[in-house]
Amino acid sequence: MIGRAAHRALIAALFLFLLAPVVLVIPMSFSADAFLVWPPSGFSLRWYTAMWRETKLMEAARNSILLACLVCAATLVLAMPAALVLARGRFRGREALVALLTAPLLLPTIVLALALLILFVGYGLIGSWPGLLLAHLLVALPYGIRVLMTAVSTLPPAVEEAASSLGAAPWRVFRRITLPLMLPGVAATAAIVFLVSFDEVVISLFVVGPELTTLPVAMFRYVESRTDPLVAAVSALLVLLTLSIVIVLERAVGLGRALGK
Amino acid sequence: MAGTALVLEGLTKRYGTLAPAVDALSLTVQPGEFIGLLGPSGCGKTTTLRMIGGLIEASGGRVLVDGRDVTALPPHRRDMGIVFQNYALFPHMDVAGNVAFGLEMRGMKRGEIAAKVEAALDLVRLGHLAKRRPKELSGGQQQRVALARALVIEPSVLLLDEPLSNLDAKLREEMRAEIQDIQRRLGITTIFVTHDQAEALAMCDRIAVMAQGRIAQLGTPHDIYEHPASEFVADFVGRSNRIAGHAADGRLNIGDLTIDAPAPVAPGPVTVMIRPHRIAFTAGGAGWNEVRGSVRRVTYVGDVLACEVTAGGAVFLVEQPTQPGVPPPEAGAEVCIAWRVADTLVFPRETA
Repeated sequence: MIGRAAHRALIAALFLFLLAPVVLVIPMSFSADAFLVWPPSGFSLRWYTAMWRETKLMEAARNSILLACLVCAATLVLAMPAALVLARGRFRGREALVALLTAPLLLPTIVLALALLILFVGYGLIGSWPGLLLAHLLVALPYGIRVLMTAVSTLPPAVEEAASSLGAAPWRVFRRITLPLMLPGVAATAAIVFLVSFDEVVISLFVVGPELTTLPVAMFRYVESRTDPLVAAVSALLVLLTLSIVIVLERAVGLGRALGK
Repeated sequence: MAGTALVLEGLTKRYGTLAPAVDALSLTVQPGEFIGLLGPSGCGKTTTLRMIGGLIEASGGRVLVDGRDVTALPPHRRDMGIVFQNYALFPHMDVAGNVAFGLEMRGMKRGEIAAKVEAALDLVRLGHLAKRRPKELSGGQQQRVALARALVIEPSVLLLDEPLSNLDAKLREEMRAEIQDIQRRLGITTIFVTHDQAEALAMCDRIAVMAQGRIAQLGTPHDIYEHPASEFVADFVGRSNRIAGHAADGRLNIGDLTIDAPAPVAPGPVTVMIRPHRIAFTAGGAGWNEVRGSVRRVTYVGDVLACEVTAGGAVFLVEQPTQPGVPPPEAGAEVCIAWRVADTLVFPRETA
């Protein structure tokens, strides 16, 4: 009995540790103070109204959303065929290719960021849409390929064989059978990749420019010069956005199923 | 529908440097014929079926459908209906959608598809379940959907890959009869892969017993059962007493017993095989082998009486239907058993 209680207490402590900073942001965002102080002396919605007037942040937010959508679309288009081949194919060097394609997950992001900076400067890609898209694809693709590979490997191959024996050419097998059966995995990939891109800060810091920046970078810059609770309000909205994506995904397809567990 | 002739010519499948999974297999299937590929797991029967359907590439040989070489064609251009062991229904489509799929792929008109789907579902008695999803159906119903889906495209050849092995015993017998009826009615050339010898005997016009990628024997169920070509076939199809013996002077010695062989045999070590239910507790006569021995064990299961009789150092399993008013023999009793010489199967013993 004591063991079980201790177990529960441990889990509770872990949750508290993980979630406390996130939870803290929410009362903070309703602060009536002009500075970030804990506890707030009073509560108000002033920072929720103030943030919409912060044009730099708002523009960065629009950029981030658009970028995340583009990264999402590009990742699906690129990762889908890759995942099909990598999960199904039996060819020499398959394992090495999987390792190579998922390597960016293991590399220190700062190293990637520096490398991209050096590379992008030469091609004038710093602070440009193509540059940001490429940089985010680099981090998003490994996730996309991983999750889609899991989705592919849970498909029963006989179903596709049956479709092809019934007269469906490979493209129609994919469109009518493989893709619909992979939809949960595709949805999960889209959500994860969207969040990875939306949340990406290290690489973005290096490749954004004065004309084009992303929300996390803009927030980082904001707190460098200002110390009011406005960022807490933005953060609270981000928590809400992330949470709703996860909940929608969970409701729509079941997160466990989407990740192939 | 007139059936289609299917010819396999030296069909071979090799994986790397291993012994071939299918080794130069040749088989001519008559139009409308129901052929069973029967063998233990790993004998190459499923590999053969998959090569016929184009699901795996042949390493060598040809597949001819009505004289046309289809070996190089992908599965979607072979016009063969395949029923898979696990049914492989499309989980995201309802029953009607599953059956309609092949017709849609053929670019058939909507109205025509609906009529054909209805007819196909009626054929397998599932018309009332057209709107169900596969996971809402029982195993037997799923199997019938799979069958309807394969048949509705009116394929030139029907390929059945262990279609009954996931069903329970009672359902299996029903489906056995049902598949057989439909096949006869449509006259469709059919290849049926199974490891179950009773299924093969009951359903097929001819059976190809396979071992190690080759056909060990091709024949009617009667041929295969009564005149097995090898010890392997005799052992795999039906049950047999398997007794080590020695051939000399045209007769067979088992320990101190001497019995007659049905045909001249070369001298040397042999395996003698006799079906248990062909041995009776009678004195023989002309054309019979007769042996005296003692009953070692009696198993009485109501309709069948099984006795182990030791004679000449060997054990003979005897199985007979029980007779009214005849008590089973007691263990230790001296009995006379006999079987027809023609039921004595003799194979040269494979020396290791």
